[in-house]
Amino acid sequence: MSQELKKALYNVSSLADLSQEINSEQNFTIKIQSVLYVIMGTFLASKGAIFWHERDKGSLIPVAHKGFNEAGSPRLKISSEHLLPLLKNEPYHLGDGNKAGLYGPLRDSLRRAGAGLCIPLWVRDEFIGVIVLSDKFTSEPYSTEDFELLKAVANQIAITMSNHSLFMNLSEQLDKNRRLYEEMRLIYHDTIQAFAAAIDAKDVYTKNHSQRVARYAVAIARELGWNEDDVEGIYVAGFLHDVGKLIISTDVLNKKDSLSEKDLHELRRHPVLSSKIISKIKFPWKDVVKSIRHHHERLDGKGYPGALAGEDISDGAKILTLADSFDAMTTDRPYKGRKDLKEALVELKKCLGTQFDGRIVAAFCKVLEKEIKGKLPEPNILPHLDKDFDPSVITVLLEALIQELSA
Amino acid sequence: MREMNFTVTSKTITDTAVLYPRGYLNNIAGESLVRECNAYIEKGIKKMVVNLGGIEFINSIGISLLLSVIERLNNCGGTLCLTNISTSYNETFEMLGLTKYMLVFKSEEEALKHLNAAGGK
Repeated sequence: MSQELKKALYNVSSLADLSQEINSEQNFTIKIQSVLYVIMGTFLASKGAIFWHERDKGSLIPVAHKGFNEAGSPRLKISSEHLLPLLKNEPYHLGDGNKAGLYGPLRDSLRRAGAGLCIPLWVRDEFIGVIVLSDKFTSEPYSTEDFELLKAVANQIAITMSNHSLFMNLSEQLDKNRRLYEEMRLIYHDTIQAFAAAIDAKDVYTKNHSQRVARYAVAIARELGWNEDDVEGIYVAGFLHDVGKLIISTDVLNKKDSLSEKDLHELRRHPVLSSKIISKIKFPWKDVVKSIRHHHERLDGKGYPGALAGEDISDGAKILTLADSFDAMTTDRPYKGRKDLKEALVELKKCLGTQFDGRIVAAFCKVLEKEIKGKLPEPNILPHLDKDFDPSVITVLLEALIQELSA
Repeated sequence: MREMNFTVTSKTITDTAVLYPRGYLNNIAGESLVRECNAYIEKGIKKMVVNLGGIEFINSIGISLLLSVIERLNNCGGTLCLTNISTSYNETFEMLGLTKYMLVFKSEEEALKHLNAAGGK
């Protein structure tokens, strides 16, 4: 095989190496350093660097280099202004007596640093950076074939760097948007919680009721396998389900005697009022308004405001119904004292199929059982309950209820 | 190919360092060979034998890394010997003109014998 053919084969395999590195899934720093090594190995340059043109500042920063900054070799300094008039992706030899369009102090400084060649990198009309190489280690001059190969290589590298730049700009924008979204989300949640605190403050007996309903609803929804987006929706719905009570008279809300027909009528307006108030808000989660409007519906159709029955009631509303009722049972109210946990569970069982959906009750029992057994790192129900129950008795009760509901 | 780990072990025999790179000399992990050689040079060892018997593959990246070692040793007046190299890679080194700057031997023993006989350098 002739030397020319061997050299041509070596060049072809080098182009394949370049393509492999450019298309590798490594991070950009390793990728561009590997690309530089491919060029240095192909052209036997013992020094090399790839600079990136920072468009904002107009400066060139090294993204990969080898040999120029080592002991005994002066630091390579390069500025873009002299490179801009040069032909795009064309190699320029820096030696004496060449046709290079690169004159003056930049060329002298590059020569002193050991550079022999530079190739300005362009993609269409955008200046991307520059490749700088030393002369060949073997002292052979760069041939016409070398220059042709360098042009092809420069084009590929320019495109790779430009793509990375576009990607980085997009990533930066995405990060910025993500941070902004997170901040907005926190503000949103804080606002909702402040709103809920205002509702609960109106009724002295229901302090933190909205927060507990939100937490119980989250526990049930997760147990039912809801995705975290929908879980967040039911959490917000839990916080806001009683917002309509802000319009109900405080006397009615805090009345200790049994309520008159008129009082009941007034009180039962609150789900519709709640849904009307929050319907002005464009929620990113589905069914928040519907869940709130129907959180006093019953499975047997005897609830309000719509007297909906069975499957006409959404799962979100059914979850809120259970969370709301369970909290009403286990906290003191103006008209009645609280039930202990065992009594509350017996009540849930009693109201199965009439007030509550068995599927939702089963999910509630399962998650409560897990919390009692310490299987959940962040319990949502247990921290809000009185601690005076016997865990083994409650567990037996829960297991029986779960079994009955799964039968 | 790049999944295969690249490792370097080495030992010294009197004033000569013998290095055993293993794996694929085709990616940035091969820099450990250059670092190992540089560490010996900094300790004053200028005779180096690199046994390439454990190297499965060399590409342009590998050539650039070997070039670093050659240049560093040349600058300090040292000698690089490559051994256990396949015929095709030997031909590539010859075609590139690199064999003028290093010595190629069939075996490590031959390289060590040559370096001993050469004495000072």
